[in-house]
Amino acid sequence: MLSRMMRIDTVRFGCVDVRTQDVIVFPLGIPGLENCRRWVLLTPPDGSTVHWLQCVDQPETALAVVNPRHFLPTYQARMSRRELDCLELRTADETRVLVTVNRTERGLALNLKAPLVINRNRRLGRQMISNSDLPVQYLLEENVAEARRKTA
Amino acid sequence: MLVLSRQRDESIIINDNVVVTIVDIRGDKVRLGIEAPQEVPVHRREVYEAIQRENRRAAQLAPQDTEALRRESKG
Repeated sequence: MLSRMMRIDTVRFGCVDVRTQDVIVFPLGIPGLENCRRWVLLTPPDGSTVHWLQCVDQPETALAVVNPRHFLPTYQARMSRRELDCLELRTADETRVLVTVNRTERGLALNLKAPLVINRNRRLGRQMISNSDLPVQYLLEENVAEARRKTA
Repeated sequence: MLVLSRQRDESIIINDNVVVTIVDIRGDKVRLGIEAPQEVPVHRREVYEAIQRENRRAAQLAPQDTEALRRESKG
């Protein structure tokens, strides 16, 4: 298939060329960023764990995202079937789960409560609010260091 | 705000496709059952607002703020 390119303007990364088919649509937007429906996932060239979900239509809006299992190998979040249904997920392979990174007074934190779930094939995404009792701000430095000490 | 009185097992209907039923009442706690189309998000308000705030703040993050994570992934 011929892939058409599009150029998007970003505040953080300058002009970025992406394939139109790489655009991920969040039909409901993202809570707090309701007007942002079209996003692209930018992968850093250095193989870093941090990816950026860049809004296509707002150059200044981007979210740093990571695979939560990189930090918490047993991470699981219970979600309502009702909400997952609209992503039309069929296999685990086409499911991608990411969580946002935020800065707090006590260091970087992951939002484990509300993972971004993406259907890689259908290019559909939604931020789920998990039914599990998970923190909106999971402090990385304190918790991950602690977990490593325990397993060491 | 519209205020309606309801008893256990009674419902209200919003827009022709959202039904909210009083499932149980115990002391100061009310359990609600909500039937809504899957494209209609339903959340506890305080949780939803916390996620909104978190997202708005997270969208202000600069690439250099995540340096610590990059070091983490290389180590």
